[in-house]
Amino acid sequence: MKPLFLDPDNLVPLLEELAETLEVVAPIRVEGEPVFATWRGEPLALDADNPLNSPVEFFLPQKEVLFKYVQYSGRYTFSEDPPKSRLILGMRPCDLQAIKVLDEIFGRELPDHPYVSKRRSTIIVVKNCTDPGEECFCASMGSGPAAEDGYDLLLTDVGPGYLVESGSPAGMFILRAHSCHFQEALPEHLKEKERLLDLAEEEIRKRMPALTPEEIRQAIEETDWEEAEKRCLRCGGCSLVCPVCHCFSVLDQGVPDGERLRCRDSCTFSGFSRMTSGANPRASLGERLRHWYLDKFVYIPEKTGMLGCVGCGRCSRVCLSDVDRWSLLREAIE
Amino acid sequence: MEMIATTCVYCGCGCGLYLHVEDGRVVGASPSPAHPMSRGRLCVKGWLAHDFVHHPDRLKFPLIRRGERMVRGSWEEALSLTAKRLKEIKEDSGPDALAVLTSAKGTNEENYLLAKLARAALKTNNVDHVARLCHAPSVAGLGASLGSGAMTNPIRSLLSADAILVTGSNTTEQHPLIAAHILEAQSRGATLIVADPRKTQIAMLADVHLEPRLGSDVAWINGILNLIIERGLADEDFIKERTEGFSALRESVSKYTPEVVERVSGISAHYLERAAVAFGEAPRAAVVYAMGTTQHSNGTDNVLALANLVLATGNVGREGTGINPLRGHQNVQGACDMGALPAVYSGYAKVEDRAAREKMAAAWGTDLPSGPGLTAVEIMEAAEEGRIRGIYISGENPMMSYPDREGVKRALESLEFLAVAEIFPTETTALANVVFPVASFAEKDGTFTSTERRVQRVRRAVLPPGEARSEWEVAADLMRRLGIDADYSSAEEVMEEIASVTPSYGGISYQRLGISGLHWPCPDTNHPGTEILHRDAFPIGRARFFPVEQPELDFDPDYPLLLTTGRSLFHFHTGTMTRRVHLLDRERPGPTVDINPEDAKALGVRRGQMVVVESAEHKLEIEADVTEEVPRGTVFIPFHFQEAPANLLTVKNLDPKSKIPDFKRTHVRIRRAD
Repeated sequence: MKPLFLDPDNLVPLLEELAETLEVVAPIRVEGEPVFATWRGEPLALDADNPLNSPVEFFLPQKEVLFKYVQYSGRYTFSEDPPKSRLILGMRPCDLQAIKVLDEIFGRELPDHPYVSKRRSTIIVVKNCTDPGEECFCASMGSGPAAEDGYDLLLTDVGPGYLVESGSPAGMFILRAHSCHFQEALPEHLKEKERLLDLAEEEIRKRMPALTPEEIRQAIEETDWEEAEKRCLRCGGCSLVCPVCHCFSVLDQGVPDGERLRCRDSCTFSGFSRMTSGANPRASLGERLRHWYLDKFVYIPEKTGMLGCVGCGRCSRVCLSDVDRWSLLREAIE
Repeated sequence: MEMIATTCVYCGCGCGLYLHVEDGRVVGASPSPAHPMSRGRLCVKGWLAHDFVHHPDRLKFPLIRRGERMVRGSWEEALSLTAKRLKEIKEDSGPDALAVLTSAKGTNEENYLLAKLARAALKTNNVDHVARLCHAPSVAGLGASLGSGAMTNPIRSLLSADAILVTGSNTTEQHPLIAAHILEAQSRGATLIVADPRKTQIAMLADVHLEPRLGSDVAWINGILNLIIERGLADEDFIKERTEGFSALRESVSKYTPEVVERVSGISAHYLERAAVAFGEAPRAAVVYAMGTTQHSNGTDNVLALANLVLATGNVGREGTGINPLRGHQNVQGACDMGALPAVYSGYAKVEDRAAREKMAAAWGTDLPSGPGLTAVEIMEAAEEGRIRGIYISGENPMMSYPDREGVKRALESLEFLAVAEIFPTETTALANVVFPVASFAEKDGTFTSTERRVQRVRRAVLPPGEARSEWEVAADLMRRLGIDADYSSAEEVMEEIASVTPSYGGISYQRLGISGLHWPCPDTNHPGTEILHRDAFPIGRARFFPVEQPELDFDPDYPLLLTTGRSLFHFHTGTMTRRVHLLDRERPGPTVDINPEDAKALGVRRGQMVVVESAEHKLEIEADVTEEVPRGTVFIPFHFQEAPANLLTVKNLDPKSKIPDFKRTHVRIRRAD
């Protein structure tokens, strides 16, 4: 399907039509800051920095009810809520790349039902990053600033409006069903897209050159993890905010009736690797931080063929100290 | 999914965060990037702040005691019974047979109404809260020397300090976001001096780590001041223009030579001198302190010694300076500001002051009691002796947080009537006649005032569970039943009343509280708030030096170890909330007593073994952890765990000036459990 052009004035009417059948999630401002939340007609914050809460949260919530259980006369019955039909607008290429990694992890053999069902019922509208944030290094991780595939629709802000490309049957369907809002794109729109994304990529690479997996691995080996342990304030924020991190714990809350919950967990917590006996194969925080990096740059790539870091920079934004990925990688480069 | 901007419920940092709400449930939390304290970051408790909200243990219905059992009752029954019993006790034994304990976890609006409930409806000044157990010495000490007991500077100001003295504060664990500011200041070049007998994380990151013996704070602080004066590093101009009483102070501290200090505190002359020079030479130096300073039987003297230090070096009233007591709860500052204290109304107007009393009486349309009431620990003593017969507790758990647990239990059991408003069943609700289920921070509107005097919004993200209500609604309901006008339709309306009777909150309204809130004093609606106190003058005119002396440190050969208590990064206070957050509870699943390896060797104790810790009166069994974090002769127990409540051992050894108990220094001995 040929690329189309969307006048910014048509965006809200389009969303209003979509919101009749879907829950539209978009970056909006709450108390001045952009966040991904359900759109109810508020002004959109598509030009703001990528929100701190990644839209991956809509596939892998911080806390979700897997099912409810009710005991009656000694028998248990179970119930689960069906996934919501959603459209996520304004996801960035880095977060899209995170979803591709998660698709490999949760979607392959023995698919993870809660993840996959949400993934199937969600339409992803990506916005290419023509204005990368200060901590971003997606270009160095090969995950941006332009999305190549994996989206349903792709928007690029080319100045007078958005260039719109479809990447899936669902995307095409939306373009056709709401065709009144779109015009045909002009060749200069396509050219402008290339130019802006080249500029963005250049800007990112200036801050952080691309590193080979070997270089990164070596940087991890050379990092003084004991020193990092001394400085780390143990908030767990880096892994709790990471769009690729997907460790969880499962617990049942409520007796005899209750809920089975799945909650975000973090390998930086000592309880994550501690065994019942009290022994812990990754006893020190330094070892756990090292493991976190190795997971991103060695183990996940081995498993999925993709890096476990998408360069969104969120871990740097939330680090209470300076032991985040960006700082350590930069140190390694220098 | 909705994102609700609100304020964290745990420590005094008062971080801004979003609660993520899906289908009427809080499902996540994330930091607010624009908030001046959190700046897009949170500690581990903050990241998990959402997790306890829908826990199945939440109290959902009013409970009324029928014999040994608590049975579900209606709000009408619970409120009428409470009002009736309180009224009966008041008529039988006079209003001072009643007391109200409020909560530093509650909002300003709730604390204000609970104080009003005590004073206007019950006619007693017996109202207090946990601040008694944390910063009463700051209110007493800084109030006397500077005229205000609050932090003089905002946390942001620490970033421009040239030297920071952190004492009695495990900042990296208890105020992680403030620690991040301090460490950022250090990386910008500030000298970080930490005084703590324990090797805490911030102590290990310090440029100078002083390791004083427990209870020797006055000695080393006076010692530093003595060196500063001797070396000519005192700020003569500031002393002359803005203070009084310096000559008596100079005379008093001259006794604290490095030799004397070393003998008393164990700090060598070398380290003392390094700290004195770094602090004295810094153009801008700030002091940060917390419970390690105040929770002593000479807590007020410790605070006065620190006040003397900043005054003598002219480190008050400027960016990058100041004396900064870190408050433990997210609203302990606000609870004090609201007059949830036995001697003051909101804004610290004294109940003994006739004019202040008449003003409040006029505003509340009733007469008010005149003498100061009893403090928290005194209330428990009075209850045990039968002088107090009825208590209303809103959101406190004295069974875990007050010293001398057995005494508290006897006190609460001997009451004729105890009503408790809580979010979860606690050791205290177990003793109540009536339990009111109340809303958590995620379920109510209001304001919290952070440690840096920043008044900020708390917003309802979801409805309370079951029939639970906000504490301010319960207070208003009780007031109405006791014959006082209390027709508030919202928390905002309560804030309007607060602003009208509290000069320092005069300009505060919900409309004005954006993401950054407002620092009090904020006297009128055009006032921008006050970040730094005492810029040009002190509320008492000139600041005063109060010479303080180091008391003799006692040693008990039968109980040769010193027990100190505190908190862990992963839990908050009595664990009512954090022990129900499974990731936090998994990080720190149970209590341990930290013992130095040499002491452990002498006792024949290994890590993981059960030991018995005994004080003169009580003992508890607890798992041993052997760690260099504590020095020889000192042991440490966190007080979160009802399995081994540290307050079983701590004694009611009160500071005469502020009535704070000594939680930080108890004589104990340890033996292996059989």
